[in-house]
This record gives sequence, structure tokens and C-alpha cells, in this order.
Amino acid sequence: MSIPLGYYLMLSAFLFAIGLCGALSRKNAIIVLIGIEIMFNAGILNFVVFWHYKYFAVLTAQMFAIFAISIAAAESAVGLALVIAVYRYYRSVDVDQMTSLKG
Amino acid sequence: MDHADYLQHLTRQQWLIPLFPLVAAAIQSLLKRPARKLSAALTIIAMGLSCIFAVRAFLATIGGGEHHEVVRTVFNFTWFKFSDTASLDLGFILDPLTAGMAAMVTFVGFWIFVNATGYMHDDENFTRFFCFLSLFAASMLGLVISNNLLMLFMCWELVGLCSYLLIGFWYFKPSAAAAMKKAFIATRIGDVGFFLGILMLYWKSGTLNLYTHDPIHPGALEQAGALAQLTGWWGLSAASTIAFLLFIGAMGKSAQFPLHVWLPDAMEGPTPVSALIHAATMVAAGVFMIGRMYPLFTAEPGAWVMDFVMWIGCITAVFSATIAVAQFDIKRVLAYSTCSQLGFMVMGLGAHSLVAGQFHLLTHAFFKALLFLGAGCVIVGTHHEQDMRKMGGLRKYMPITFLCYVIGTLALSGFPLTAGFFSKDEILLATYHHSKLAWILGTFAAFLTAFYMTRQIFMVFFGRWRGGDEDRGHGQEHKSHDERGHEHHEPHEVPWNMWLPFAMLSVFALLMGWLGTPWFHDNLFHHYIAPEEVASESSNLVMGLSIAVALFGILLGWLIYGRKTMEHATDPDPLAPTLGGLFVFLNHKWYIDELYEATVYRFTATCGMFFRLFDKLVVDGILHAIAWVVWAISQVFRWVGDEFFINGGFDSGCESVRLGGKVLAKLQSGRMQNYFRVLSLGAAILLLMYFFT
Amino acid sequence: MDTIFWILSIITIIGAVMAITLRNLIHCVLSLILFFLGIAGHYFLLRADFLGAVQVLIYIGAVAVLMLFAIMLTRHVTGDEGPREVLGGKWWAGMGTAVIIAGLLWAIIRKDQIAQALPAGVAKTSVAEIGKALVGDWVVPFEAMAVLLTAALIGAVVIALEEVIRKR
Repeated sequence: MSIPLGYYLMLSAFLFAIGLCGALSRKNAIIVLIGIEIMFNAGILNFVVFWHYKYFAVLTAQMFAIFAISIAAAESAVGLALVIAVYRYYRSVDVDQMTSLKG
Repeated sequence: MDHADYLQHLTRQQWLIPLFPLVAAAIQSLLKRPARKLSAALTIIAMGLSCIFAVRAFLATIGGGEHHEVVRTVFNFTWFKFSDTASLDLGFILDPLTAGMAAMVTFVGFWIFVNATGYMHDDENFTRFFCFLSLFAASMLGLVISNNLLMLFMCWELVGLCSYLLIGFWYFKPSAAAAMKKAFIATRIGDVGFFLGILMLYWKSGTLNLYTHDPIHPGALEQAGALAQLTGWWGLSAASTIAFLLFIGAMGKSAQFPLHVWLPDAMEGPTPVSALIHAATMVAAGVFMIGRMYPLFTAEPGAWVMDFVMWIGCITAVFSATIAVAQFDIKRVLAYSTCSQLGFMVMGLGAHSLVAGQFHLLTHAFFKALLFLGAGCVIVGTHHEQDMRKMGGLRKYMPITFLCYVIGTLALSGFPLTAGFFSKDEILLATYHHSKLAWILGTFAAFLTAFYMTRQIFMVFFGRWRGGDEDRGHGQEHKSHDERGHEHHEPHEVPWNMWLPFAMLSVFALLMGWLGTPWFHDNLFHHYIAPEEVASESSNLVMGLSIAVALFGILLGWLIYGRKTMEHATDPDPLAPTLGGLFVFLNHKWYIDELYEATVYRFTATCGMFFRLFDKLVVDGILHAIAWVVWAISQVFRWVGDEFFINGGFDSGCESVRLGGKVLAKLQSGRMQNYFRVLSLGAAILLLMYFFT
Repeated sequence: MDTIFWILSIITIIGAVMAITLRNLIHCVLSLILFFLGIAGHYFLLRADFLGAVQVLIYIGAVAVLMLFAIMLTRHVTGDEGPREVLGGKWWAGMGTAVIIAGLLWAIIRKDQIAQALPAGVAKTSVAEIGKALVGDWVVPFEAMAVLLTAALIGAVVIALEEVIRKR
């Protein structure tokens, strides 16, 4: 195919931006985590794209991507556990209400 | 050395005479009280030393100069200089007048001090009394020896101060406190005139030294003739005006009418005080001062000053004598008698006879002191009883006192051949040659003198002892020792230290008269004091009439009071029914005090009230206004500066910090989504920087 | 081939957009799954087969399911579907930031030299090689990853478990 690298990079950039939007704008903590996942995926896509366009060694990007995916999974697990714990305390998942760090 | 040098030497040492008592007073004021024996010893020894020096000086002045003129030796020194020409001097003088006075004051004072040790024996303020007595003696002697009108005035004031202190010695008694104030104020009124006289003298003559023996800078009295040429006020020459003003001072100090009101009240003081100050010395200071300044008085012949002096003296003499007739307090009688005799002295001086006036002063000092000491003995002997109606028959109990008292009375009455007879006769003689009316009044006063003194003798010493008649309390004279539950003991004689002094004085009272009579060496005193004065022509009429009135007065006294003495203390005075209202009038001192109170006091009080109101409204008003202005200014400063700028500025500064903090605290919202937003914003900015650089 | 790229890209973007904008949380997660599928497709397109498979397995099979469970556990008892308002306070700040970043990145990438490159062919890598690499050259990260996953597992359990012990 003859897609220039730039298009993939722009795609990943837009996906990253979309994820950032979601993480910053929504009130629901879970949506924030979703946004973070989207950002993660955009980043990993970036790596793979660069591997595809011959900027990495054969296995480097795949390894990296595998590890990144694992870390992302672990992170989302912990994050959701936190959300559940916080929900139990605050009885809501509204990030605007979680202000005990205030001041 | 020859006599003149000796006199000069003595004059330089004149200041020792007042020095001894002054030192004694100073030491006593520092003593730890009580130190009775020491203070009495100090005083008496000091006075004795002064007496020795004074007598030495006196002896040196006897004999006069080669031509029987008066020898005056002076010693002047500068106190402080205003400029090369003007300065204030002080000085001592040694001349017959001074020496005679000094000798008399020290001698009489010495014996009075001895008497006072007995009189004040029970008093708890013994030391303070002798301290004041010494101070008084020092000031009186300073007055006598001074050659300078300023020094004389200073001592004059000091004497007034000591009189004030001693009259009010028992200051806790309200009557004594009132009396001390009255004395001081009344004499002060006279002192206004005195001071004006001093000022005028300085103005007209340029010096206050009396004699300087220096032709270039003559003393004031040496300029008397020149001063008589200058014009003064009220139609007088300068000399006479000054003399008049000075006489006003003498009127106050010597208790002449109308400033006499303080002398009877001064009897509130202890009797030795009355004897010394208000009989012999201080009141004589006025007369002495006239004698000292006599050249000014006589400088302008025909001026009305001398007539004024004579008439004031005459009025005083008669006036006080009438009051003395109706008094019941033993000391009051003597006080009015003193007043009357002072009137005599002044009358004599006013009749152009320095000799007569001064001679009577000297003799009067002796026998009046004698009488007062006698009265003191009587008071002590009757346990502080002073009302004559409660005495009587003391002849039996106090023979020595009685004897000496009789001698004094005879002298005062002018009984022939006593001292008082000669001196009073001189005065009446001089007055006779100037004004017949004054002479008649003076003779009448002499008659009254004999009468009331005889009355006193019979009331006190004869008849029945009336002291135990009625328990009317313990007399009027409060002592400051505690009550010892006096029953009415029988009166007793006083101890030796009280009767010895007046034994001494009575000798002089008897014999001194011979010094001043023309029958004995042609009036020694005249030659001594003022040989330049023309002796009055002797007149048998005058002498005969004096003897007659004296004897008649004594006779009348015996008739009314002696033949049938008072039986009871509550009996009325035998004279009272006869005179009726006049007696009451005389008893109340012609209501002069009440008159003064209604007029002068009320006027002064009103002025005082007016000024107090002025002070409160105007002065305080101004003060309050100023204070209010200051307060208002401070309020403005507070409001503008403090409130507005400082407080406001500070407050708004703090407020902005607080708001800033509040705003910045919003960053710490605790919402991690916000933190995330800030984070991404930062990343965007970094990207921006990458993009643009 | 190019059109597949565009289609996949559109699917991916739509999935992402829907994931963050939908109201219903379940719908969000379902769009997220769509997104993951798109990404996986891109991986396949880029000849990273294993990675695509891993993506589908882990992300869709584990993470998305986990999210669904979390959603179910954090619902209100009354049946509410989460917060009423969709957007949080000051949402425009975040949106703006993202837009700025997107814009910047686009501006950067458009002109970049490298971005003009065309793909070159790559050798296929087999799963066996990946496996050998994992326990060969890349064993340390592999073991570390294992530790990390264990820790995350324990941590998540502990965090989510606290409620049982600490009853309000």
C-alpha cells in the first residue's frame, strides 16, 4: 500500500486527542478510564506504525507493544478497582465529587 | 587703738550679734527631737553670747564723740551688682540707737528665754519652740543692726514670719491658726506701704544704704536734706512721702489703729512669745524703724507727716486703753495695754521727739515683758486659767509674782519715780508743745492705763480665790500635753526659773527711768541718743497733771475693784452696770473686727469669688478649648492617616493576599481531572514551543 | 488496500468518538470495543498479526469485560445510569486542550520529512520467534511484567476488597 507514514501518524494523533478529550471532559470516572485506554492504544499504534515503516528492528516493536498492552491491562484493572472502591465510599463515580485532596 | 578704730572694729563684728541665735536655730532645726535640755541650753547660751557682744558694743558707744555728737560707724558691703554704678548693698551700723536696742533685746530676750524653759516645761513641742525663738532673736537683732533698708526689710519680714510661727505654735487649735493668719496678713498690709517706701527711696536717692560716710555716694539718710527738696506725692516732698509710706509699714508692725486687730489675737501664742515678741521687741520694731529713719521724717519741717504720725499714735493710745478697761482675759488686757503704749511711743515720735519715743520704747520693753512674764506665772500657777474672773487672792499663793507684778503695774501706770513715769512724762511733754488736744487725749489714755492696770491687780491678786467656784472647764489656754485630770488645786508659786527673770526685769523697770530724766545728770538718755535734738521745755503743768491722773486712776481702780472685790466668778464686772451698753461695746473691741469682716473681708471674698469664676470660665475654658483643638487634630490624623492609609492599606494588602491565596487554592481542587487538564495544557504549551522555535 | 485503511480509520475514529460521547455507559464500552476492533484491524493491516490477535484477546476479551463489570458494580441502586450530566465542570478546558494538541500535531506532521515515507515490506514474524524472544533476549522485561501483573492483581483485589473489612 502506498499510505504515507504521515497519515498513520495523523490517525494516531487524532485518536490520542480524542482520548484526551474524553479523559478531560467527562464527569464519569469510568469514561475517564476509557479515554485513557484510547490514548494508550493510539500510542501503541504509533509504535507499530513506525515498525511497519522500517524504523525498528524486527521484534522490538512487537515486544514493546506486547508489554505495553500488558501494562495497560494491568493499569485498567487497578484503575477500575479503585473506581469501585471510591464508588463504595462516595456512592458515586462523579469525579467532581471526589475532592478530598482539595486544598 | 584709738576709739574710732575700736568702733570700726566692733562694727565689723556686729554681725556676730544675730549670728549666735541663728546658729542655735539652725542646729536645733536639725536635732532629733526631743532634745529639750540641749535646745534650751543652745538658745539661752546663744542669747547670752549675743548679750555680751551687744553690751560690749553699747558700752563702746557711751560717751559719744568729742563734741557730744552722735558717733555712727558703718560697715557696708556689696551684695550683688547690677552694673558699675547700681548695686544692692547690705551693711551694719553701730550707733547709740542700734546699740541700745540690741542691748535691750538681748537682755530682755535672755531672761524671757529662761522663763520659757519653765513655762513650756510640759509642752511636747519644746524643741520646736526654742528653735523658733532663736530664729526670731536672730532676725530681730539683724533688723536692729542693719544699716541698709533692704537688709532691714528682709529682717522685718523674717520677724513677721517668726511671729506667725510662734503665734500659731499650737496650730491644731483653730483659734490659734486663725490668729497666726490674721497677724501675718495684717502686717502684710502695712508692708505694702513699706515696700513702696523702699522703692521710692531707691528711686529718688539711688541707694538703700542709710549711712555711708562717703561724700561721693551718700547714704539715703544723709541725703535727707536733698530729698526734702524734691517733690513727692500728696503735697509732700519726696522725703516726707517716703516717710509716710514707711510709716504705713510701722503701722502694721506696731499695731497702730486701724491695723491693730492682730495684736490681741496674737495672745493665742504661748505667754513667753507674747512677752518677747508682742511686748518688747517685734512690735517695737516699727517704732525703732521710725526712729532709724527719723531724718526723713524731720527733713521737711511743716509737712503733715509728723502730725499724721502723732495723731495715729494718739488715737491708738486712747482707743486701746478704752478697750482694755472692759476685757476679762489677763493677756488681752496686757495686749491692749501694749497697743496703747505703742500708740504713746508713736505719738512721741510724731511730736518731733525721737528721745521720748525711744526712751519709752526701752522702758516699756522692760516692764511690759515683766508684766507678761508675770501673767505667764499666774497662768501656770492657776493651772492654765486665763479668765480674771476666776482668779483672785493670788497674793497669798504667789507672793513673788505679786510683788513683781505690782512693780510692773506701777511702772506702766506712770507712778511717780518709776521708769514708766519718766518716759511717759517725756512723751506727754513733747506732745503738749505740739498739740494741746493730743496732749489731753494722751493724758486721758494715761489715766485709763492706771485705771485698768489697777483693776487687773485687784481682780487677780486680791479678794477671794474664785477658781474653785464653778467647774467651767480648764481655762482657755490649751496646752499640747495630755490632760491630767486637773482638779481645781489651789494656785501655787512658780519655780525659780520662772520668777528669777522678772525679778531681774523689775529692777530695771524701777531704776531705768533715772536714765532719762533731767533730774539726773541732765537726761543721760537724751545726750546718748540724739544730742542734737532740742529738749522740750519742761512744764510743771504737764508733770503735775501726769502725776495727778496716774494717782487718780489708781484710786478709782481701788474704789471700784479694791474695796469690794468680786465674790464669785459669775459676778458681773462692777463697772458693767454703770456703763451698761458702753461696757459691752468696749468689751467687743468697738466691734472693729466685725466691721472689718463686713466690709474688707466680704469685699475680698467677693473679689476672690469673681476671680475664681473668671478662672473657671475663662481660663479653664481656654484650656479646654485648646485641649479640644488638640484632640480634634489628633482625631483627624487618626482618621486620615491611621484609619485610612495605614489601617486601610494594611488591611487591603492582607485582603489581597488572602484573596490571592483563595484563588490559588482553587488550583488544589482535589479533582484529578483538573490536574490532568493542567497537565495536558502544559504539554500543549511545550508542543507550541517546539512548533514555533 | 488503501481503502481498507480509510475504512478502518473511520471505524476506529467513530468508535473512539462514540466511546467518549455516548450517554449510556454500556454503549460507551461497546463503542470502545468497536474501537479496539478497529485498532486490531490496523494491526493486521500493518502485518503485526500476533499483535492484532493479542489486542483482540486482551483488550476486548479482558479490559472491556472488566469495564462492563465495573460499570455494573458502580451503578446506583435505584437504577440510575450514572451521573446526570455528561460533561464535567469546565469541560471546554479539556476539549480545547485536546483540540489544540490535535491541531499542533497535525501541523507538525503535515510538513515533516519523515512523514512522507512510504512503507517498505517487512518479514513476517512468527509466533514462535516471539515466544523465543520472550524467554531469550527479552526475558528480563518478561519477568518484570510478570511481577507487575501479579502486583496489579493483588493490588486490585486488595483495593476492591477493603469494603468488606471496613464496613461503614
